Amino acid sequence: MPSPVPGRTSAELRGYVEGDNPVSGNPFSRDLFDGLTRPLDDADMAGATFERARSRLLEPATEDDLHDLFLENGWTDKLPIVLPTEERVAAMLAGTSRAPGEVVGRLRAASTRDYWEFTVEQAAANAVMAGARPEYLPVILALLGSGYSARHSSISSMSEAVVVNGPVRDEIGMNSGIGALGPYSRANATIGRAYGIGSQNLQGGSAPGISYMGSLGNPFSFTNLTFAENEERSPWEPYHVQHGFAPGDSTATIFRGVRTMITSGGIADDWREHSARRIFNATRASGGVVLLLDPLAAQNLVEHQGFARKADLIEFISDTGRMTARRWWGHGLQELFFGYRARAGEEPWASYLAADPDEQVRINVPEDVHVIVVGGRSAAAWSVLEGMANGTKLDRSLSGRTVSVDEWR
Amino acid sequence: MAGKITVFNPEGNAPTVGGKSLAPRPDSLEGRTVFLVDAGFENSADFVDQLRASLHEHRPGITTVTEHLSTPFDPAPDLYARIAAEGDAAILGVGL
Repeated sequence: MPSPVPGRTSAELRGYVEGDNPVSGNPFSRDLFDGLTRPLDDADMAGATFERARSRLLEPATEDDLHDLFLENGWTDKLPIVLPTEERVAAMLAGTSRAPGEVVGRLRAASTRDYWEFTVEQAAANAVMAGARPEYLPVILALLGSGYSARHSSISSMSEAVVVNGPVRDEIGMNSGIGALGPYSRANATIGRAYGIGSQNLQGGSAPGISYMGSLGNPFSFTNLTFAENEERSPWEPYHVQHGFAPGDSTATIFRGVRTMITSGGIADDWREHSARRIFNATRASGGVVLLLDPLAAQNLVEHQGFARKADLIEFISDTGRMTARRWWGHGLQELFFGYRARAGEEPWASYLAADPDEQVRINVPEDVHVIVVGGRSAAAWSVLEGMANGTKLDRSLSGRTVSVDEWR
Repeated sequence: MAGKITVFNPEGNAPTVGGKSLAPRPDSLEGRTVFLVDAGFENSADFVDQLRASLHEHRPGITTVTEHLSTPFDPAPDLYARIAAEGDAAILGVGL
C-alpha cells in the first residue's frame, strides 16, 4: 500500500485501498485478498525456530581490519572507537565489584522486538569502545541496566538525556559547571557514549530502516546529553532527593523522549509574564518539561521571583504552559497515549476529554515538570528540554526514571 | 599471528526465537467475517474506515468488524481470542 497514512484525506486513503500496490503493481485489494486466502505450504505450517550463535571473542585480526569489521557490523556510532582487547576489558572490569558473568539486564529497540540479555563483561567491552575509564563503569552499568535503550526505534527520533547526582559526580570528574552539556568532560562524554553504543550492541543492533526508524535522527544520541547536576550551587534540594534518594546516594536519571531544547535569555523582572509564558507555552503536549537553570538563574528565581521552594516553581511552570483542549488532543499521538486512560476515568486526562475544546488546559502536569541546576555561573542562562522521567507513565517504555549507581560499584 | 590482536564481541545475547506456524487460511472470504484492527497511530482509524467502506461496496458478502487497540505497545490477548473465536481473518492497520 502507498504511504504515508498520516496527513491524508479520507478520499486519498480510499484511493490507496482501491488503487495499486506500488511494489507489485497489482490492485491493492487483489494482493490483500491473496494474502488472506492463498494456500499455505508446509514451511508456513511448520513454523521456525532461530538460535543465534555468539562467540565471546572475535577471530584475531589486525587493528585496521577490526575497525573495518566494527563499522561494517554496525557496532559503532561511526566515530572512531577503542578496540575492546582482553587487557582493556579486564582493566575496565576493575571498576566494579560485580562478577564479569553477572547478568546486568535486558534491552530492546522497541516493544515489538524481543529483549536481548547481557552481562557485566559485555557491557564493559562497550564501555571500552566508547573511551570510558574504569571508574565510570558503575554509572554505565546503571544506565544499561535500567532497561531503557538509548537506541529506541521510535519514528520520532527520541534521544535520552542523563543527569547524574550524588558523590559519584566528583569521584569520577563529571562536569556540572561551565560547558557541562558540551564536549568538555571525558566522563560526561564517554559515559553517555557508552550508554548509546552499549544500547545498540547489547540489544542486537540499531540499523536505520530495520531497527531504527527515527526519520530525522537526533544529534543528542551521540552522547545522550549526559551531565551532572550542580548540587553545590543549587538553592534547592538535589534532583534525586526529590525522588526518594538520600543526598549521599549516587544516581543517574534517564529522561526519555528528548527531542528538543529551547533556549531563552536571562531572568528579567517580567520573567513570569513574558519569557516564561512564551517558552512554557511552546512545549509539546505531555512531552515533559526539564528546566535547566544556571546557578545564577536559579538564584535569581529565588531572590527576585519568589521561588524559595522548587515545588512552587514546578507548579508555576505547569500552570503557566497552557493550550486549548482541542490543540492538546490534536498533538501527535495523544489519543493513542491518553485516550484509553481518559475513557477509563483517569485524571487529569478524563477532564481533558470532557473539557470544552476551547478550554485552556495544562500542557504538562506538575509530575512531568523537572528542574535541574547546571552550569558555571557565567550567565543567568536557562534552557528547556523535552523529556520524560519519574512522572506520568506515558507507557512502560517511554518514560525514564532515576536509578541507583551505588548498586553497580 | 604477528600484528593480529584479539578483541571482545560487543554484542549481547540474542534470545532463542520460537516460531509459530501460520493459522490455516480460508479459501475464500465470501460469507466470512474479517476483523479490521486499528492500531491507533495517526490516521489509521480513518484508513480502516475507508477499507471497511470499500469492502462493503465491492465485496458485500464479507462481514467486517472494526476494533481499535487501546494501545499498540502492549499485547491484546482478549482481542486475539475474540478474533480466533469469531473471525476468519484479520487485517491490522498500522497507519505509518
